[in-house]
Amino acid sequence: MKVPAVPLSFRLSGLTLVRIAAVLCGLILSVSPPARGDENLLGYVYGAETLPRGKWEAYQWVTLRTGKESGSYRAFDLRTEIETGLTDRLQAAFYVNSRGHRITGVVGLDDRESLAFQGVSAEFKYRLRSPYLDGYGLALYVEPGYNRVDKVSGEIEGEFELETKVLFQKNFLEDTLIWAVNYTLEPEWALGGEEAAEEAEHEEAEHEAHEGEHEARRELAEELTTGVSYRIASRWFIGSELRLHSEWPDFSHREHLAVFLGPTLHYGGERWWWTATVLPQIWGWPDEEVPGLQLDEHERLELRFKLGVNFQ
Amino acid sequence: MRRGARNLHFVALAPAALVVAGPVAAHAAIYLSVEEAGAAIFPGRPLATLLATLSPEEAERIEERAGMQVRSREIRGLRTAQDARLYVDRVLGKHEEIVYAVGIEADGRIAGVEILEYRETYGGEIRQAEWRAQFRGRRAGDPLALGAEIHNLSGATLSCRHVTDGVRRILATDALLREREAAVRP
Repeated sequence: MKVPAVPLSFRLSGLTLVRIAAVLCGLILSVSPPARGDENLLGYVYGAETLPRGKWEAYQWVTLRTGKESGSYRAFDLRTEIETGLTDRLQAAFYVNSRGHRITGVVGLDDRESLAFQGVSAEFKYRLRSPYLDGYGLALYVEPGYNRVDKVSGEIEGEFELETKVLFQKNFLEDTLIWAVNYTLEPEWALGGEEAAEEAEHEEAEHEAHEGEHEARRELAEELTTGVSYRIASRWFIGSELRLHSEWPDFSHREHLAVFLGPTLHYGGERWWWTATVLPQIWGWPDEEVPGLQLDEHERLELRFKLGVNFQ
Repeated sequence: MRRGARNLHFVALAPAALVVAGPVAAHAAIYLSVEEAGAAIFPGRPLATLLATLSPEEAERIEERAGMQVRSREIRGLRTAQDARLYVDRVLGKHEEIVYAVGIEADGRIAGVEILEYRETYGGEIRQAEWRAQFRGRRAGDPLALGAEIHNLSGATLSCRHVTDGVRRILATDALLREREAAVRP
């Protein structure tokens, strides 16, 4: 069944948003002065450094998620970010997010081809320790956000999330080898939406007959990520990232766990930088359809590309 | 091709296109030559070439004293007739190397520090005379750490840290070379 995922206006809004983001990045690249500041050496793992006061950065993220147990599944997560240092220890950022899906013949999901405005979020990161002054880096991170497109199905819903992280960083070999660890807890609350409301109504009707099978309206995502990045030459870093992600519906029990591991390449140019990560799922639970992989809530492979531009 | 497919392709390719279109050649910021640095630190004093090679054992002793790795055993710089010396060295910046020079008087005290090449745009504040002046008068064996004897510059922490460590290495190198020369002096 072909599902028109979102009204045309939303599709156009999402597409327009992406095009505007790309054009803005192009303009920024062409007019920004030579500059470089805080950079993401890894695609998924954050370091503990913050932007200096008064400095600005712009990011464009693209994450491709692909591969289910059947059919054809591709999803794009797009994030456009502007970030600034409020003080030397506190940085803030604002995100505009979009999400696209192309789903064909995947068991349990409607066929879909969509690109939609996903939501907005804000980020605050406070550095407690600097890896260059204190021997290790430590920072606290909080990101409240609103999402309106389901990550897996692409259906429209409403969700508020509060992503909180503790970020640790330790440098070795005169700062040529960087190790970072992030621990994330992210409670999410469904706010409803057209399809979500219909589904909730449907679930409520069937609840008595299928008690315990209803979809949770709140959830806790837990994630542990760690990675290393090594400077192999001027401007070039290679690394590896490990990501363990699990979710707790109703904050009560672990529903699934997926483990990803893959390489990262980072280039820091004089005016901008980019980071690319290839992150295949190496283990997942429960693995009902494909042995050793969790493909209901996750995919076989994630590819992430970040482009960052620093300007004064 | 369906409209949605075109859209997704555009989304995927737009950043990649920026990357392909975007690379620019890095432009090294060279502020001083070695001779200019020597003239700035030892004005009016004639300078001759200084070349020395450290043995592996000497490099190890320097590493023990300075607490950091000796990246090159080939020492180069300038020296005055009164045996004041200017050493040229390199430390890592965020992505490129920072080239700097340390002038040391014959009594082992730092006469001045100059930044010769700096390619990192952020952190260029380490070229400020006020920051570099903190090193004057210090000698081998003195405590010399960022955040203690040397104050940090916001936004230039990595550069401050590495240059401070590098100066400590140069002080240890100078002290060892003078010890070596004193040992063979008749």
